[in-house]
Amino acid sequence: MASSLAARRLLSRAAAVRRFPVPFASAPAPAMAPRSFSADAGPPPPLPPPPPQPVVEPPTSEGAGASSSSTTAGAGGAHRSSPGAAAGARRQGGAGYEEEQEKVLRASLLHVPRMGWSESAMVAGARDVGVSPAIVGAFPRKEAALVEFFMDDCLQQLMDRIDAGEGEQLKNLILSERLSKLVRMRLEMQAPYISKWPQALSIQSQPANVSTSLKQRAILVDEIWHAAGDSGSDIDWYVKRTVLGGIYSTSEVYMLTDNSPEFRDTWTFVNRRIKDALDLQKTFQEAAYLAEAVGAGMSGTVQGVLNRVFQNRSG
Amino acid sequence: MQAARRLASLKLQRRLLLPSQAESPSISIPTAAAAAAFLHSHATSFGYKQVREEDKSKLVGNVFSSVASSYDLMNDLMSVGLHRLWKDRLISKLNPFSGMKHLDVAGGTGDVAFRVLERVKSVGHRAMQGTLTETEEGTHIYVCDINPNMLNVGKKRAAERGYSEEHCLSWIQGDAEALSFEDGSMDGYTIAFGIRNVTHIEKALSEAYRVLKQGGRFLCLELSHVDVPIFKEIYDVYSFSMVPAIGELVAGDRQSYQYLVESIRRFPNQEKFAQMIQEAGFQRVEYENLVGGVVAIHSGLKL
Repeated sequence: MASSLAARRLLSRAAAVRRFPVPFASAPAPAMAPRSFSADAGPPPPLPPPPPQPVVEPPTSEGAGASSSSTTAGAGGAHRSSPGAAAGARRQGGAGYEEEQEKVLRASLLHVPRMGWSESAMVAGARDVGVSPAIVGAFPRKEAALVEFFMDDCLQQLMDRIDAGEGEQLKNLILSERLSKLVRMRLEMQAPYISKWPQALSIQSQPANVSTSLKQRAILVDEIWHAAGDSGSDIDWYVKRTVLGGIYSTSEVYMLTDNSPEFRDTWTFVNRRIKDALDLQKTFQEAAYLAEAVGAGMSGTVQGVLNRVFQNRSG
Repeated sequence: MQAARRLASLKLQRRLLLPSQAESPSISIPTAAAAAAFLHSHATSFGYKQVREEDKSKLVGNVFSSVASSYDLMNDLMSVGLHRLWKDRLISKLNPFSGMKHLDVAGGTGDVAFRVLERVKSVGHRAMQGTLTETEEGTHIYVCDINPNMLNVGKKRAAERGYSEEHCLSWIQGDAEALSFEDGSMDGYTIAFGIRNVTHIEKALSEAYRVLKQGGRFLCLELSHVDVPIFKEIYDVYSFSMVPAIGELVAGDRQSYQYLVESIRRFPNQEKFAQMIQEAGFQRVEYENLVGGVVAIHSGLKL
């Protein structure tokens, strides 16, 4: 039980470290797929996972000492070694492609509130960091790369905040309150981009991009359950992933039209949906009914497509 | 009868394709150097003829002087119009943007440069619809060709299309192996159907790397090698029989198009050329075959 949970967490972390998905072939029908011929072509192979530490919970003093800020993704606590090692390994090669891409995409995020998730934002971002905007032409799937970078970055920030000490505060809460707080932490990261988020959702729902975005959301939901401290069997896991995935997606869409101060209505919405889900006595069938109801309520929207695919995946 | 004679001469030509000494005499003997010898020897090739290094540029110049005026017509006939789609695909991969500094080498007639300019304009228009973006002036496209006749054709076309008024295009006579541009001054570098005619491909690639900015991209569109089994035979027959005949009929110049077909065979294949691009310093080197390898688009990134 504990070992399977640890393995799941390591997989989640390894997936988070590999920030950029493998590009999809987009060549026209008569042409063959483009072939890569560079040593830097793909993401570097993930490092072997470190041995699990005997102490599951970091000490309070260590947690207090660590700090993280939104501008330095991956700058987790001192007690975490594998992300730092991976970053170090990547930097040793000099100015690698992944490093330049990350710099450009991070600078591009500053232009998203004004320009949207667009090539124009990436062109402006490349100029900011002194790289020729021509590099944008080398990004696979262009705008989707920017949205996916943002999603990966938010996941990393969420993990860093949990490890940096906010995870400790969760222990004083009951399960539904933990989940609500975690979902809120994640959705708050989208607040600066809320006016452009419908565009991001539509980009993610394009056929070439939907599988990557579903993976990212599944990993996010797994991470939230893990941080909430819930441990369940494999069968439970998929039901919970589906339910929380549906709640997260509906809250995300609800947030788009929430004009209350500091999105207060959205947080109330999240609290109620999670409480409702947990009050269903945790039977598989009732949870599945809830997922279907959530999916049915979303029919006709972009998000409904994602929900249905979620259900199909876990079925 | 003529067909039989042509086939006989082709067979004879193939039988004579033997490795030869690096420093062969200037008399044109139809022999082919080995791949390694080709990459490192001082002798170089002009079609199937082994010629001195100094003579190749002159001979290539003669070829393109004689075809300059009917260049596009011959391209349409040889590729049944596909060369337009290939060039569109090249520009699509380049992904031009407003404010771009772009260099097109061996593009004297302006086909690629005009496409880049049109794409930059449409990108600018699309950005304007956002109502917040300022379209940055400063786009400039340089067309570099070693042959002044080709450049004159391009200038004339630019005038016909009204591009001359915009001062976005510069026409520069120059050698791909010794470009007259500053280091790190270009966002993009394209060369379409031209790298094959360069005496030292490695030098042209090094020059491309030198003039590009960090983040700049190199793209090369070139006739290449067909690997699909049955299509390969059909393509061979088409290349060696029909293309020179069409050249003679339309452009009145069989010899130049015979050279064209032969030089395709002598060019490194897709993998080898990708290696050469990588050795010049580019990263993320990729290639995409079009029409089974008749044409390949190679791309690389300078970081």
